[in-house]
Amino acid sequence: MPTAVVVGKGPRLFLVRPPPVEPAGFLWDADIERAASRRLGGRPEDLPVGLVTRLSELPSDVRVVTPDASLAESLTARARRAFSTPELSELRRARSALPSVEPETERDFVRAVARQALEKALAAPEEVLVTLAREEERIERALGREARAVEAFSQVPGSPLERHRATWEAARGALDAHHRRLLASLESDARGLLPNLSAVVGARVAARLLSAAGSLAALGRMAAPRLQLLGSRRRPSPERGPRYGLLYRADRMADLPVGRRGAYARSLAALASIAVRADASTRRDLSKALIARRDRRVADLRRSRR
Amino acid sequence: MRTARVLRPFGESPRLLRREGPERTDLWTETVGAPPAVYGERWIQSNGRDYRSFEPGRSKLAAAITRGWTGDLPRPGEQWLYLGAASGTTASHVADLLGPSGRVYAVEKSVRPFARLYALSNRWPNLLPILADAREPGRYSDLVPEVDGVYADIAQADQLTIVRRNAELFLRAAGSPLLIALKTASMGRDRAPAGHLARGEEALEGVVDLEPSVKLDPFHRAHYLLGGRARPALFGEGGPDTVRRRPGRSRGPRRR
Repeated sequence: MPTAVVVGKGPRLFLVRPPPVEPAGFLWDADIERAASRRLGGRPEDLPVGLVTRLSELPSDVRVVTPDASLAESLTARARRAFSTPELSELRRARSALPSVEPETERDFVRAVARQALEKALAAPEEVLVTLAREEERIERALGREARAVEAFSQVPGSPLERHRATWEAARGALDAHHRRLLASLESDARGLLPNLSAVVGARVAARLLSAAGSLAALGRMAAPRLQLLGSRRRPSPERGPRYGLLYRADRMADLPVGRRGAYARSLAALASIAVRADASTRRDLSKALIARRDRRVADLRRSRR
Repeated sequence: MRTARVLRPFGESPRLLRREGPERTDLWTETVGAPPAVYGERWIQSNGRDYRSFEPGRSKLAAAITRGWTGDLPRPGEQWLYLGAASGTTASHVADLLGPSGRVYAVEKSVRPFARLYALSNRWPNLLPILADAREPGRYSDLVPEVDGVYADIAQADQLTIVRRNAELFLRAAGSPLLIALKTASMGRDRAPAGHLARGEEALEGVVDLEPSVKLDPFHRAHYLLGGRARPALFGEGGPDTVRRRPGRSRGPRRR
């Protein structure tokens, strides 16, 4: 009986339904479902989801291999514990007659499922943005280090490094160009996913805030004081704590004298917390009102002394 | 004078070794996977075999062995379920202990650590990664067969409930080992670590034949390894029969 099935190489997989086994006429999910729902008083929705829906969850254009025997084994193990009925012991006997699955096939199957789940999870706009934001941060740091390295060239006349200057500059230019492209795509993603927050603090800072929070849901729950200090490295304290973290690079921060930046960060965090709630849950566009309030605050702070 | 530093078997598992050093004894596992190192651990070759150092500072299982865990450990040829595998630091060593004919089904919920775990499974043929929440074992019950042991390292307040549900579902039979790296810091601040341990032991007492729990200080603060062999009561009515583990249990020498 052909029970082993083939796994295709590459991103596309192939599904072969398990052939009906003796006693003839039952397919694995329909049978378990019937027996289990009878046991549960005829309510199929009470079934543990994973028992019957895993294969049907997959998109219809993707076919996946199932290693029949191990599948049967785990199903019967579950069945034995959750619903021990005569039908199922019959089923188990039938399944145990199947040849055992090749380890390679099973491994490929589990990894294929993992890969599909991973690709799906990583393709979520939120994950893409976090990934890009972290990469952008790493490149920016590297470029900062390189900029400091150039001082080593200029300050030492006749330095042996002089010979390598052309190569170095070409490499740095390439990284710089890559950084600009990455930033452009990051910012457009951030405007799409976090329209209100991007409007208030700027797209790059919005992306960084998301990356620091870890997820849109986590960001959407944050209170203003938390947002104000997100990304700061010093220990918070009432007297001498930090006044800003990632928000230091927010839009309009540079327009203010240094002594007013803490006050601006505080106000900005309040607006940002409204913005993240809108972005994470209601999806309403509040950007005009938020920008107006922000700019009024900037004007006030510039007028006031100190 | 340099003393010879040789790898000697630790306990009865042929894949777990120790190397006596001047200050402390290192643990090593014979690797199943290919280089490079997974988390910066040392690799050595000896008699054509590769060994990786099993660092107690990085892995709670290694810390427990170092601190004198007397219970069962993964043994060659077995299949284990690993809950909370993260990026695979300990999971790779569990896979090593199980050897090429064993399997570890490594469940991890967070996407980014899982990406590393998945990459690791390219090099570790007996490591099977599963992206799922251990709270919902039904979601991966079609991937995991009955297993010979469960190891859990889950930083969640309800970690004991999670592990118990998984053990009920996947553990082969009474007598199979269940190991929990208990992170008391994620169980609330209403009591001290020892109080959490006591509560954990109490919760498992009826269903698991507990080995003496091991405190993982100073390697991991406020962590314990607790566990033992499942009792028939774990499975409730209609559960599987008790099966004795094969003779030659892996009990390491008791050390302090």
